[in-house]
Amino acid sequence: MRLTVLGGYLGSGKTTWLRHQLHEGQFRDALVVVNEAAGTPVDDALLGRASRLELLAGGCACCEAREALVALLRRIADERSRIDSRTARVDRIVLETSGLAEPGAIVEAIRTDPVLVYHIVVGEIVVTVDALHGLAELRGEPLGRRQIEVADRLIVTKTDEAESAATKRLLATLRGLNPGATISGAVRGSEVALPDCSDAAPERLPDVPSDAEKGPVFPTKLDVDGSVDWASFSVWLSALLHARGDDIVRVKGVVRTPAGRLLLQAVRKVMQSPEILPEQPDGEGRQDNRIVVIGRGYEPDDLRRSLDYFARAGKI
Amino acid sequence: MCASCGFPAAPGHWTDAGAADPAERLRNRFRRAQVLKSVLKAYGLTAHDGGQVPGIQIGTLSGSQAIARDLAEVWKVAEELCGRPVDPLDPRFTGVGAP
Repeated sequence: MRLTVLGGYLGSGKTTWLRHQLHEGQFRDALVVVNEAAGTPVDDALLGRASRLELLAGGCACCEAREALVALLRRIADERSRIDSRTARVDRIVLETSGLAEPGAIVEAIRTDPVLVYHIVVGEIVVTVDALHGLAELRGEPLGRRQIEVADRLIVTKTDEAESAATKRLLATLRGLNPGATISGAVRGSEVALPDCSDAAPERLPDVPSDAEKGPVFPTKLDVDGSVDWASFSVWLSALLHARGDDIVRVKGVVRTPAGRLLLQAVRKVMQSPEILPEQPDGEGRQDNRIVVIGRGYEPDDLRRSLDYFARAGKI
Repeated sequence: MCASCGFPAAPGHWTDAGAADPAERLRNRFRRAQVLKSVLKAYGLTAHDGGQVPGIQIGTLSGSQAIARDLAEVWKVAEELCGRPVDPLDPRFTGVGAP
């Protein structure tokens, strides 16, 4: 089975890119495995076009959920081996990693596994890079650099929202970090032309502080239950993104409102227009009214207490 | 850009996405003003949204005023007026006790 690993930093556009590829009919027969660092999955709801989808939530596949990933892939390999080779079998797997994963570590886990090594060939490592925040991540996040360095193919996303000069500098920097990778551009998954970066100077990247100095980025789950109305929630979240946008790397989740099921997604200070998700039959809306905040520099409990304060504010 | 592989996005500023019909929108504005008033008070600021004209009025106790179009702008304006960002993780909001 050929494996495509899709990596990239938090909010860099992995799911959006994959969703469009599936829509276009790429990876049509592939089995899609989605890994999310937080226990509350969101991305699987967006990848409805995959012919088969497996979800690995509650840990990053390159570290804490590595064994779970290996077990899942072994099960897939095992099931495939039981099927007669003349009938259609899974020949391709797309693994969408969590934004906190190192694709290199995942590939190593597969290559060193005595069973998987006979079943899985790593075809390509695709890494998405956000044109808006990519340079900042390269400057400050060791993980962001390691993700770029292992890629076979880099996809620069959101180029329509970034300034051309900044995109050029990012491209030149990417070329310097990983000269072997092919680089292409994408906006909402559709391929776009990239500006010519031959005259742009790459960014001189500073030595990055290690994770130990800055503290690791961690996910926090928050229930937005009946006690929190949309008004107080939106006041709270917009204030949080304004004040702590540099520490809060990613926010995502589905919140039920009078206007429908809203998919909220923020990357640092930038909030996307919420997508209105279709209603699901009972029992499948399990991830509703829960958001995941991924960041550092605060106590997880403070998020909850602060949201509760905002929900109560003005009611007395 | 492809518009067909996703779900429809809510129009306008994201903080307005939670209300679909006009009555709900108005209710949302009043409730939002109520929350803002209570939160900004701690920073010596006032908030007002009468529901008649667009925007949220933010003022200081000494009389300076500014109008913010949406919630994202409210925090920018508030920061300019009081000289520091309004931080929801400030101990005054995370401490125990009702407002």
